[in-house]
Amino acid sequence: MSNERLRHPWQLVAQREISTKIRDKTFLGSTAFMLLVVLAAVIIPALVAGNSGPDKVAVLDDAGAKVVAVADGIKGGDTYEATRTTDVAAAEQLVRDGEVEAALLPGANGFEVLGKQRVDSSLQDDLREAAANVGMEQNAQRAGLTPEQLRAGTQLQERLLDPGPLPEIVANFVNIGLALAFYMTALGFGMMIAQSVVQEKESRVVEILAAAVPIRAMLWGKVIGNTVLALTQIVVIAAASLLGLLATGQADILEIIAPVAGWFVVFFVLGFVALAGLWAVAGSLATRQEDLGSTTLPGQMILMIPFFFSVFAGAEAKSVASFIPIASSMAMPGRMLTENVPLWQPLLAIVFLLVATVLIVRLGATLYERTLLRTGRRLGYREAISIKAS
Amino acid sequence: MLSVAGLTRRFGDHLALDDVTFDVRPGRMTGFVGANGAGKTTTMRIILGVLAANGGAVTWHGEPLSNEVRRDFGYMPEERGLYPKMKIREQLVFFGRLHGLDSLRAGERTDKLLGRLGLAERAGDTLETLSLGNQQRVQIAAALVHEPIALVLDEPFSGLDPLAVDAMVDLLREEVTSEVPVLFSSHQLELVERLCDDLVVLSRGKVVAAGPVAELAAGSAATYRLVVGGDAGWLRDVPGIKVRDVAGATALFDVVDDPDGGLVQHVLQQAMSRGPVLEFGPERVALSDVFREATR
Repeated sequence: MSNERLRHPWQLVAQREISTKIRDKTFLGSTAFMLLVVLAAVIIPALVAGNSGPDKVAVLDDAGAKVVAVADGIKGGDTYEATRTTDVAAAEQLVRDGEVEAALLPGANGFEVLGKQRVDSSLQDDLREAAANVGMEQNAQRAGLTPEQLRAGTQLQERLLDPGPLPEIVANFVNIGLALAFYMTALGFGMMIAQSVVQEKESRVVEILAAAVPIRAMLWGKVIGNTVLALTQIVVIAAASLLGLLATGQADILEIIAPVAGWFVVFFVLGFVALAGLWAVAGSLATRQEDLGSTTLPGQMILMIPFFFSVFAGAEAKSVASFIPIASSMAMPGRMLTENVPLWQPLLAIVFLLVATVLIVRLGATLYERTLLRTGRRLGYREAISIKAS
Repeated sequence: MLSVAGLTRRFGDHLALDDVTFDVRPGRMTGFVGANGAGKTTTMRIILGVLAANGGAVTWHGEPLSNEVRRDFGYMPEERGLYPKMKIREQLVFFGRLHGLDSLRAGERTDKLLGRLGLAERAGDTLETLSLGNQQRVQIAAALVHEPIALVLDEPFSGLDPLAVDAMVDLLREEVTSEVPVLFSSHQLELVERLCDDLVVLSRGKVVAAGPVAELAAGSAATYRLVVGGDAGWLRDVPGIKVRDVAGATALFDVVDDPDGGLVQHVLQQAMSRGPVLEFGPERVALSDVFREATR
């Protein structure tokens, strides 16, 4: 007989689950697709922004060139560049041809900005500020004041009571992005777990498996195998977007994201495991692939409702959602990135989530054991809860 | 020895197994026969722990069968099933390891069985690309790969042609050592008669006959068959025998009263003195008759 015994049969089940998936073309294809989308989202904006170089502004004289140079200084350099031209007609031609973004021409009481159809608002703001600065400095000199004297008492400084780590628009994107990452992964892998269970029922191999190993070991193998796969997928995608950020010089975002990454993993794993148990039950209630549409509906709802809630709800509702198990996996990491969340909040949310995960997985294991070997017809959840173990 | 004692199982109001008790002795093939719905599959699933019994016990060498021991059993369920999209070698190694072999040994056993079944060059193909007969071969290999200490085979030969049955039987005889009890169910009674040492007959959830095939087939009363050249009607007048049937030259009779044991020879001598004897001997009862008798 065998000399070395496999202590934990779930390891073998998990191993099979993983090795089957990583050779599955559909799985590889969808992972590659997600990778491409994420990389595109990271790299393309940087390329679009970085490619054009400084915006050219046509000017007629030194006064115009100076305003453009000051505007460039406001933006930190490399943003605007003056292009000298001879007269208004030539400047108009340059604008019409798209050679320059705009032209800065002498105006009635200062300057005139000339654009083709419109003038980019940030360009206009920067030129206005620069023109005002240059003009006022000249006026100050005439009045016998230094620029410092002129500016005395005019500075406006910002002070925030509760500064968030990210600007609002970025924060919204990050919130949606993190919720989406959990939603997509949990749904995608959830369906795969349900399918893999029903495949074993459909092909009847489940009878041999059940005779060889405890049914709970089969469940654990599936849940753990798929959790490892899902986490690996997330890590691979995260690593790719990291490389993308580094390659395009956006590394400063990392400083904000890095401290939250660990929390994200915790919320992700707990939320995923809780759901994975339910998805396995969805598979074991079904007898054929076609049944999955109805048996996976509760799982889809449990994911979809908190997702839309955590994405579209207002700030207070979002705070509430970040404590509700499953919803917290989608809402809390985002909140931590975009708000200053006191430490007790994620800890409490994790405690809630942990309790819920244990309860859900227990219920899941019981239902799974009861229904896995019933291959006659599709069962409902209520029916599964009411039947006795066989 | 594998034993079941007093197994009872209900499905709703239906009593599927009613106090089922029998032994499966090591090194012997035990045939498990009965009509459809008699409870064969239910019994086998209970032995494998896939289904729970409402009462009774399954024991192994007198001890209650533990999950640890059961893991070393080999099982071929009634509803065949393996992973359709998994390569057959990988699949058999997986099942070997699931039953507790280390990966090296599981690989060796798989290669040996695939070679023995003539499937060595298909090792890298997925199961679904194989013909049904070959899938059945892989199925039996999955039951044998871990060198099981007991085998439970539910209709292992259904759907196989006679040559494939012979090949499978040879494989079983080769793989099954003298310590291994084998229980297999079948509808094909001639096959059971040919292969089995012991027999358990199940009818409507009850064991109606159990024991060595030879004993069951011999029956209780000795029946003889005589074919002579002339008419055999004179047999009716011989004391101590009861004629079952006479049709011209052919007669079938039971010995009912034979205190000194010489009656059969006496009948033969008498027949020879009356003319030529073409055929004389004990009438063996076919297993199908035993089965019909027992399940009536």
